[in-house]
Amino acid sequence: MTDYKVLFTGSVCSGKTTAIRSLSDIETVDTDASVSDSAIRRKQTTTIAMDYGKLELSDSARLHLYGTPGQERFKFMWQLMMSDLVYDAIGLVLLVDNTRTDPFKDIRFYVDEFRDFIVRRRLIIAVTHSDVQPEPNKHDYESVIKDMGLFTSVMFIDARDPKSVLTIIDELVGLKEKGINWDELAEKLKDNDTTESAESCDAVKEQVSLLDAAMNTRGITGAMHLGEKREVLSSNIESKQNQELLHSMVSLVSALEKKASFLGHIDNLVLCGPKEETLSVFVEEEQALGLSSQRELSISVLKQQALDLLQWSGEQRSND
Amino acid sequence: MIEILTHIGRSGIVERGCFVQGKELLASTFTEEHKKYENIARQAFNYVFLNVAKSGAKHKEAHLEIGEKRLSAFVVGKNLLLICMSSKGESVLKVREQARNALIELRRIQAKSGS
Repeated sequence: MTDYKVLFTGSVCSGKTTAIRSLSDIETVDTDASVSDSAIRRKQTTTIAMDYGKLELSDSARLHLYGTPGQERFKFMWQLMMSDLVYDAIGLVLLVDNTRTDPFKDIRFYVDEFRDFIVRRRLIIAVTHSDVQPEPNKHDYESVIKDMGLFTSVMFIDARDPKSVLTIIDELVGLKEKGINWDELAEKLKDNDTTESAESCDAVKEQVSLLDAAMNTRGITGAMHLGEKREVLSSNIESKQNQELLHSMVSLVSALEKKASFLGHIDNLVLCGPKEETLSVFVEEEQALGLSSQRELSISVLKQQALDLLQWSGEQRSND
Repeated sequence: MIEILTHIGRSGIVERGCFVQGKELLASTFTEEHKKYENIARQAFNYVFLNVAKSGAKHKEAHLEIGEKRLSAFVVGKNLLLICMSSKGESVLKVREQARNALIELRRIQAKSGS
Protein backbone atom coordinates (compact mmCIF):
# COMPACT_ATOMS: atom_id res chain seq x y z
CA MET A 1 0.00 0.00 0.00
CA THR A 2 1.40 3.39 -0.94
CA ASP A 3 0.41 6.29 1.28
CA TYR A 4 0.18 9.80 -0.10
CA LYS A 5 -0.22 12.94 1.96
CA VAL A 6 -1.64 16.23 0.77
CA LEU A 7 -1.76 19.47 2.75
CA PHE A 8 -4.56 21.98 2.23
CA THR A 9 -4.07 25.59 3.26
CA GLY A 10 -5.67 28.97 2.59
CA SER A 11 -7.48 31.81 4.30
CA VAL A 12 -10.47 31.46 6.62
CA CYS A 13 -13.50 30.22 4.67
CA SER A 14 -11.52 29.30 1.58
CA GLY A 15 -12.94 25.77 1.82
CA LYS A 16 -10.20 23.65 3.43
CA THR A 17 -12.42 21.78 5.88
CA THR A 18 -15.15 21.38 3.26
CA ALA A 19 -12.73 20.03 0.64
CA ILE A 20 -11.36 17.47 3.09
CA ARG A 21 -14.87 16.43 4.14
CA SER A 22 -15.80 16.03 0.48
CA LEU A 23 -12.97 13.59 -0.11
CA SER A 24 -12.73 11.64 3.11
CA ASP A 25 -14.26 8.19 3.38
CA ILE A 26 -13.86 8.29 7.15
CA GLU A 27 -15.46 10.73 9.58
CA THR A 28 -13.08 13.67 9.38
CA VAL A 29 -11.22 14.85 12.45
CA ASP A 30 -11.65 18.55 12.87
CA THR A 31 -10.96 20.98 15.67
CA ASP A 32 -13.48 23.73 15.17
CA ALA A 33 -14.05 26.42 17.77
CA SER A 34 -16.02 29.65 17.85
CA VAL A 35 -14.44 32.40 15.85
CA SER A 36 -12.98 35.11 18.06
CA ASP A 37 -11.70 37.69 15.63
CA SER A 38 -12.42 39.43 12.35
CA ALA A 39 -13.07 36.04 10.69
CA ILE A 40 -16.55 36.13 12.25
CA ARG A 41 -17.66 37.98 9.12
CA ARG A 42 -17.20 34.76 7.22
CA LYS A 43 -18.14 31.98 9.58
CA GLN A 44 -19.05 31.26 13.17
CA THR A 45 -16.62 28.40 13.77
CA THR A 46 -13.11 27.88 12.45
CA THR A 47 -10.38 25.24 12.55
CA ILE A 48 -7.94 25.89 15.37
CA ALA A 49 -5.54 22.94 15.11
CA MET A 50 -5.98 20.93 11.92
CA ASP A 51 -8.33 18.86 9.79
CA TYR A 52 -7.67 15.27 8.88
CA GLY A 53 -9.37 12.90 6.47
CA LYS A 54 -8.48 9.70 4.63
CA LEU A 55 -9.42 8.21 1.27
CA GLU A 56 -8.69 4.76 -0.17
CA LEU A 57 -7.74 5.62 -3.75
CA SER A 58 -7.37 2.00 -4.85
CA ASP A 59 -6.34 -1.37 -3.43
CA SER A 60 -2.77 -0.19 -3.44
CA ALA A 61 -2.95 3.55 -2.74
CA ARG A 62 -4.27 5.58 0.15
CA LEU A 63 -4.55 9.34 0.54
CA HIS A 64 -4.16 11.27 3.81
CA LEU A 65 -5.64 14.75 3.78
CA TYR A 66 -4.47 17.44 6.18
CA GLY A 67 -5.82 20.97 6.54
CA THR A 68 -4.15 23.88 8.32
CA PRO A 69 -6.07 26.33 10.49
CA GLY A 70 -6.94 29.46 8.52
CA GLN A 71 -6.57 32.15 11.14
CA GLU A 72 -3.06 33.55 11.20
CA ARG A 73 -2.92 33.50 14.98
CA PHE A 74 -2.77 29.68 14.77
CA LYS A 75 0.16 29.96 12.39
CA PHE A 76 2.45 28.09 14.76
CA MET A 77 0.47 24.99 13.73
CA TRP A 78 1.53 25.52 10.12
CA GLN A 79 5.20 25.19 11.10
CA LEU A 80 4.47 22.18 13.31
CA MET A 81 2.63 20.44 10.50
CA MET A 82 5.25 21.22 7.85
CA SER A 83 8.16 20.04 9.98
CA ASP A 84 6.51 16.90 11.30
CA LEU A 85 3.13 15.53 10.21
CA VAL A 86 3.27 16.42 6.54
CA TYR A 87 7.00 16.80 5.88
CA ASP A 88 6.63 13.88 3.44
CA ALA A 89 3.54 15.26 1.67
CA ILE A 90 3.53 15.16 -2.11
CA GLY A 91 1.88 18.50 -2.55
CA LEU A 92 0.35 21.64 -1.14
CA VAL A 93 -3.11 22.74 -2.22
CA LEU A 94 -3.57 26.47 -1.72
CA LEU A 95 -7.28 27.24 -1.66
CA VAL A 96 -8.00 30.81 -2.71
CA ASP A 97 -11.40 32.38 -2.02
CA ASN A 98 -12.36 34.36 -5.11
CA THR A 99 -14.66 36.63 -3.08
CA ARG A 100 -11.73 38.17 -1.19
CA THR A 101 -11.11 41.82 -2.00
CA ASP A 102 -7.65 40.93 -3.30
CA PRO A 103 -7.21 37.16 -3.72
CA PHE A 104 -3.75 37.66 -5.23
CA LYS A 105 -2.62 39.16 -1.94
CA ASP A 106 -3.53 35.82 -0.33
CA ILE A 107 -1.48 33.91 -2.88
CA ARG A 108 1.56 36.09 -2.23
CA PHE A 109 1.09 35.71 1.52
CA TYR A 110 0.74 31.91 1.55
CA VAL A 111 3.49 31.33 -1.02
CA ASP A 112 5.78 33.38 1.24
CA GLU A 113 4.75 31.45 4.33
CA PHE A 114 5.12 28.03 2.66
CA ARG A 115 8.07 28.90 0.39
CA ASP A 116 10.46 26.32 1.85
CA PHE A 117 7.76 23.66 1.85
CA ILE A 118 6.84 24.04 -1.82
CA VAL A 119 10.42 24.05 -3.10
CA ARG A 120 10.38 20.26 -3.43
CA ARG A 121 6.64 19.65 -3.68
CA ARG A 122 3.85 20.31 -6.13
CA LEU A 123 1.77 23.40 -5.52
CA ILE A 124 -1.80 23.56 -6.78
CA ILE A 125 -3.78 26.77 -6.58
CA ALA A 126 -7.43 25.85 -6.22
CA VAL A 127 -9.83 28.78 -6.56
CA THR A 128 -13.14 28.50 -4.68
CA HIS A 129 -16.39 30.52 -4.51
CA SER A 130 -16.12 31.45 -8.20
CA ASP A 131 -19.86 30.71 -8.42
CA VAL A 132 -20.38 33.76 -6.16
CA GLN A 133 -17.61 35.91 -7.67
CA PRO A 134 -16.42 34.80 -11.13
CA GLU A 135 -13.69 37.44 -11.43
CA PRO A 136 -10.72 37.29 -11.38
CA ASN A 137 -10.81 34.48 -13.94
CA LYS A 138 -8.37 31.68 -14.69
CA HIS A 139 -6.44 33.80 -17.16
CA ASP A 140 -5.97 36.55 -14.53
CA TYR A 141 -4.62 34.01 -12.05
CA GLU A 142 -2.25 32.46 -14.57
CA SER A 143 -0.91 35.85 -15.50
CA VAL A 144 -0.24 36.82 -11.86
CA ILE A 145 1.32 33.45 -11.11
CA LYS A 146 3.59 33.76 -14.13
CA ASP A 147 4.69 37.19 -12.91
CA MET A 148 5.48 35.65 -9.53
CA GLY A 149 7.68 33.06 -11.23
CA LEU A 150 5.66 30.13 -9.88
CA PHE A 151 5.34 26.80 -11.65
CA THR A 152 1.91 25.63 -10.63
CA SER A 153 -1.52 24.64 -11.89
CA VAL A 154 -4.57 26.81 -11.31
CA MET A 155 -7.88 24.97 -10.93
CA PHE A 156 -11.33 26.40 -10.29
CA ILE A 157 -13.16 24.01 -7.97
CA ASP A 158 -16.23 23.69 -5.78
CA ALA A 159 -14.99 22.43 -2.39
CA ARG A 160 -18.47 21.04 -1.63
CA ASP A 161 -18.44 18.74 -4.64
CA PRO A 162 -16.28 15.59 -4.23
CA LYS A 163 -15.96 15.13 -8.00
CA SER A 164 -14.59 18.66 -8.34
CA VAL A 165 -12.07 18.25 -5.50
CA LEU A 166 -10.96 14.89 -6.90
CA THR A 167 -9.59 16.67 -9.97
CA ILE A 168 -6.90 18.16 -7.70
CA ILE A 169 -5.94 14.73 -6.42
CA ASP A 170 -5.86 13.38 -9.96
CA GLU A 171 -3.46 16.20 -10.84
CA LEU A 172 -1.23 15.31 -7.88
CA VAL A 173 -1.16 11.50 -7.92
CA GLY A 174 -2.70 10.56 -11.28
CA LEU A 175 0.62 10.15 -13.03
CA LYS A 176 2.07 8.01 -10.24
CA GLU A 177 -0.98 5.82 -9.69
CA LYS A 178 -2.35 4.68 -13.01
CA GLY A 179 -4.75 2.13 -11.54
CA ILE A 180 -7.18 4.56 -9.93
CA ASN A 181 -10.72 4.56 -11.26
CA TRP A 182 -11.65 8.21 -10.75
CA ASP A 183 -15.30 7.79 -11.81
CA GLU A 184 -15.76 4.99 -9.31
CA LEU A 185 -14.19 7.13 -6.59
CA ALA A 186 -16.51 10.02 -7.40
CA GLU A 187 -19.48 7.67 -7.18
CA LYS A 188 -18.27 6.32 -3.81
CA LEU A 189 -17.99 9.87 -2.45
CA LYS A 190 -21.27 11.25 -3.78
CA ASP A 191 -22.87 11.18 -0.30
CA ASN A 192 -20.24 13.69 0.81
CA ASP A 193 -21.59 16.22 -1.66
CA THR A 194 -22.86 19.27 0.25
CA THR A 195 -23.45 21.57 -2.71
CA GLU A 196 -27.08 22.05 -1.74
CA SER A 197 -26.91 21.86 2.03
CA ALA A 198 -23.66 23.41 3.22
CA GLU A 199 -23.88 26.56 5.29
CA SER A 200 -22.62 29.30 3.08
CA CYS A 201 -19.94 31.63 4.29
CA ASP A 202 -21.71 34.38 2.43
CA ALA A 203 -24.91 33.76 4.34
CA VAL A 204 -23.02 34.36 7.56
CA LYS A 205 -21.28 37.36 6.07
CA GLU A 206 -24.56 39.04 5.30
CA GLN A 207 -25.50 38.87 8.97
CA VAL A 208 -22.26 40.39 10.24
CA SER A 209 -21.24 43.90 9.23
CA LEU A 210 -17.67 45.13 9.09
CA LEU A 211 -18.24 47.10 12.29
CA ASP A 212 -19.62 44.02 14.08
CA ALA A 213 -16.63 42.03 12.90
CA ALA A 214 -14.28 44.74 14.12
CA MET A 215 -15.99 44.77 17.51
CA ASN A 216 -15.54 41.01 17.73
CA THR A 217 -11.84 41.42 17.19
CA ARG A 218 -9.62 41.17 20.24
CA GLY A 219 -8.51 44.58 21.49
CA ILE A 220 -10.57 46.68 19.08
CA THR A 221 -12.99 49.09 20.75
CA GLY A 222 -14.46 50.96 17.81
CA ALA A 223 -14.39 51.21 14.03
CA MET A 224 -15.09 53.65 11.23
CA HIS A 225 -15.53 52.41 7.65
CA LEU A 226 -14.56 54.89 4.93
CA GLY A 227 -15.25 54.87 1.23
CA GLU A 228 -13.19 55.65 -1.85
CA LYS A 229 -13.39 59.40 -1.29
CA ARG A 230 -12.66 58.83 2.40
CA GLU A 231 -16.24 59.63 3.32
CA VAL A 232 -17.60 57.89 6.43
CA LEU A 233 -19.81 54.95 5.45
CA SER A 234 -20.45 53.78 8.98
CA SER A 235 -18.98 54.28 12.41
CA ASN A 236 -19.46 53.13 15.98
CA ILE A 237 -16.70 55.20 17.58
CA GLU A 238 -18.36 56.51 20.74
CA SER A 239 -15.81 58.87 22.25
CA LYS A 240 -16.11 62.36 20.79
CA GLN A 241 -12.38 62.91 21.24
CA ASN A 242 -11.53 59.75 19.32
CA GLN A 243 -14.05 60.67 16.63
CA GLU A 244 -12.43 64.08 16.15
CA LEU A 245 -8.91 62.68 16.10
CA LEU A 246 -9.81 59.93 13.65
CA HIS A 247 -11.47 62.48 11.37
CA SER A 248 -8.34 64.62 11.45
CA MET A 249 -6.20 61.54 10.68
CA VAL A 250 -8.45 60.67 7.74
CA SER A 251 -8.18 64.26 6.45
CA LEU A 252 -4.42 64.04 6.70
CA VAL A 253 -4.31 60.72 4.87
CA SER A 254 -6.52 62.17 2.10
CA ALA A 255 -4.24 65.19 1.74
CA LEU A 256 -1.13 63.02 1.68
CA GLU A 257 -2.66 60.77 -0.94
CA LYS A 258 -2.94 63.83 -3.17
CA LYS A 259 0.26 65.65 -2.28
CA ALA A 260 2.74 62.91 -1.38
CA SER A 261 1.85 60.17 -3.81
CA PHE A 262 5.37 60.46 -5.29
CA LEU A 263 6.63 58.73 -2.11
CA GLY A 264 4.40 55.71 -2.67
CA HIS A 265 1.15 54.33 -1.34
CA ILE A 266 0.05 55.28 2.17
CA ASP A 267 -0.67 52.10 4.11
CA ASN A 268 -1.56 53.37 7.54
CA LEU A 269 -1.30 56.08 10.14
CA VAL A 270 -1.20 55.05 13.80
CA LEU A 271 -1.38 57.26 16.88
CA CYS A 272 -0.36 55.89 20.30
CA GLY A 273 -0.13 57.16 23.84
CA PRO A 274 0.95 55.78 27.21
CA LYS A 275 -2.55 55.91 28.64
CA GLU A 276 -4.66 56.51 25.54
CA GLU A 277 -6.44 54.19 23.20
CA THR A 278 -4.51 53.63 19.99
CA LEU A 279 -6.10 55.27 16.95
CA SER A 280 -5.31 54.09 13.47
CA VAL A 281 -6.32 54.50 9.84
CA PHE A 282 -5.64 51.73 7.31
CA VAL A 283 -5.86 52.74 3.70
CA GLU A 284 -6.71 50.89 0.51
CA GLU A 285 -7.51 52.42 -2.84
CA GLU A 286 -11.27 51.91 -2.66
CA GLN A 287 -11.82 52.02 1.09
CA ALA A 288 -10.23 52.76 4.44
CA LEU A 289 -10.75 51.67 8.01
CA GLY A 290 -10.38 53.76 11.15
CA LEU A 291 -9.98 51.89 14.41
CA SER A 292 -9.73 52.63 18.09
CA SER A 293 -8.04 49.88 20.06
CA GLN A 294 -6.64 49.06 23.48
CA ARG A 295 -3.12 50.41 23.85
CA GLU A 296 -1.86 46.91 24.83
CA LEU A 297 -2.61 45.59 21.35
CA SER A 298 0.64 45.56 19.39
CA ILE A 299 0.76 47.51 16.13
CA SER A 300 1.69 44.38 14.16
CA VAL A 301 -1.36 42.47 15.43
CA LEU A 302 -3.54 45.52 14.82
CA LYS A 303 -2.27 45.74 11.23
CA GLN A 304 -2.94 42.07 10.61
CA GLN A 305 -6.50 42.33 11.95
CA ALA A 306 -7.23 45.50 9.98
CA LEU A 307 -5.99 44.00 6.73
CA ASP A 308 -8.12 40.93 7.27
CA LEU A 309 -11.20 43.07 7.95
CA LEU A 310 -10.55 45.04 4.76
CA GLN A 311 -10.05 41.84 2.73
CA TRP A 312 -13.66 40.86 3.39
CA SER A 313 -15.30 44.21 3.07
CA GLY A 314 -15.10 44.96 -0.65
CA GLU A 315 -18.56 43.88 -1.66
CA GLN A 316 -20.21 44.93 1.60
CA ARG A 317 -19.62 48.66 1.31
CA SER A 318 -22.97 49.54 -0.15
CA ASN A 319 -24.73 47.61 2.62
CA ASP A 320 -22.98 49.34 5.51
CA MET B 1 21.27 66.88 18.96
CA ILE B 2 22.98 65.83 15.77
CA GLU B 3 25.15 63.42 17.83
CA ILE B 4 22.02 61.78 19.20
CA LEU B 5 20.64 61.33 15.69
CA THR B 6 23.95 60.00 14.40
CA HIS B 7 24.10 57.61 17.34
CA ILE B 8 20.63 56.14 16.78
CA GLY B 9 21.39 56.00 13.05
CA ARG B 10 24.25 53.60 13.82
CA SER B 11 21.76 51.05 15.13
CA GLY B 12 20.84 50.14 11.57
CA ILE B 13 17.18 50.41 12.63
CA VAL B 14 16.61 54.13 12.24
CA GLU B 15 17.92 55.20 8.83
CA ARG B 16 17.48 58.96 9.18
CA GLY B 17 16.15 61.27 11.86
CA CYS B 18 15.49 64.85 12.83
CA PHE B 19 14.41 67.02 15.77
CA VAL B 20 11.75 69.62 15.06
CA GLN B 21 10.17 72.26 17.25
CA GLY B 22 7.02 73.59 15.67
CA LYS B 23 8.08 74.58 12.18
CA GLU B 24 11.74 74.88 13.09
CA LEU B 25 14.19 72.14 12.13
CA LEU B 26 16.73 71.83 14.97
CA ALA B 27 18.91 68.99 13.66
CA SER B 28 18.68 66.42 10.91
CA THR B 29 20.50 63.47 9.37
CA PHE B 30 18.16 63.33 6.36
CA THR B 31 20.20 63.48 3.16
CA GLU B 32 19.15 65.38 0.03
CA GLU B 33 17.85 62.13 -1.38
CA HIS B 34 15.47 61.69 1.56
CA LYS B 35 14.56 65.35 2.12
CA LYS B 36 11.09 64.72 0.67
CA TYR B 37 10.36 62.24 3.45
CA GLU B 38 11.55 64.75 6.03
CA ASN B 39 9.34 67.53 4.65
CA ILE B 40 6.25 65.32 4.51
CA ALA B 41 6.93 63.95 8.00
CA ARG B 42 7.34 67.40 9.52
CA GLN B 43 4.10 68.70 8.03
CA ALA B 44 2.12 65.56 8.76
CA PHE B 45 3.23 65.10 12.36
CA ASN B 46 2.89 68.79 13.21
CA TYR B 47 -0.70 68.52 12.01
CA VAL B 48 -1.29 65.28 13.96
CA PHE B 49 0.03 66.59 17.28
CA LEU B 50 -1.65 69.95 16.83
CA ASN B 51 -4.94 68.07 16.66
CA VAL B 52 -3.97 65.88 19.61
CA ALA B 53 -3.34 69.01 21.69
CA LYS B 54 -6.53 70.65 20.45
CA SER B 55 -8.62 67.67 21.48
CA GLY B 56 -6.99 67.45 24.90
CA ALA B 57 -5.65 63.94 24.25
CA LYS B 58 -2.21 62.77 25.39
CA HIS B 59 -0.93 60.70 22.48
CA LYS B 60 2.87 60.86 22.28
CA GLU B 61 3.74 58.76 19.27
CA ALA B 62 2.65 58.44 15.64
CA HIS B 63 3.66 56.18 12.75
CA LEU B 64 2.99 56.72 9.07
CA GLU B 65 3.75 53.94 6.60
CA ILE B 66 4.28 55.37 3.16
CA GLY B 67 5.89 53.63 0.19
CA GLU B 68 8.70 51.43 1.48
CA LYS B 69 9.29 53.55 4.58
CA ARG B 70 7.85 54.10 8.01
CA LEU B 71 8.01 57.61 9.43
CA SER B 72 7.68 57.70 13.22
CA ALA B 73 7.31 60.72 15.46
CA PHE B 74 7.84 60.84 19.22
CA VAL B 75 6.99 63.76 21.48
CA VAL B 76 10.22 64.26 23.42
CA GLY B 77 9.60 67.66 24.97
CA LYS B 78 7.30 70.64 24.92
CA ASN B 79 6.43 71.06 21.26
CA LEU B 80 9.56 69.03 20.46
CA LEU B 81 9.37 66.05 18.11
CA LEU B 82 11.88 63.37 17.22
CA ILE B 83 11.15 62.05 13.74
CA CYS B 84 12.66 58.74 12.63
CA MET B 85 12.62 57.10 9.22
CA SER B 86 12.97 53.33 9.09
CA SER B 87 12.19 50.55 6.67
CA LYS B 88 8.52 49.51 6.72
CA GLY B 89 9.58 45.97 7.60
CA GLU B 90 11.45 47.10 10.71
CA SER B 91 9.94 46.32 14.11
CA VAL B 92 8.10 49.26 15.69
CA LEU B 93 9.34 48.07 19.08
CA LYS B 94 12.96 48.47 17.97
CA VAL B 95 12.30 51.94 16.57
CA ARG B 96 10.60 52.83 19.85
CA GLU B 97 13.62 51.58 21.77
CA GLN B 98 15.90 53.82 19.71
CA ALA B 99 13.60 56.79 20.41
CA ARG B 100 13.76 55.98 24.12
CA ASN B 101 17.58 55.94 23.97
CA ALA B 102 17.50 59.29 22.19
CA LEU B 103 15.22 60.76 24.85
CA ILE B 104 17.49 59.58 27.68
CA GLU B 105 20.48 61.14 25.93
CA LEU B 106 18.56 64.35 25.23
CA ARG B 107 17.58 64.69 28.90
CA ARG B 108 21.16 64.05 29.94
CA ILE B 109 22.40 66.83 27.65
CA GLN B 110 19.64 69.18 28.78
CA ALA B 111 20.43 68.48 32.45
CA LYS B 112 24.10 69.17 31.80
CA SER B 113 23.44 72.44 30.07
CA GLY B 114 20.84 73.39 32.68
CA SER B 115 18.12 73.97 30.10
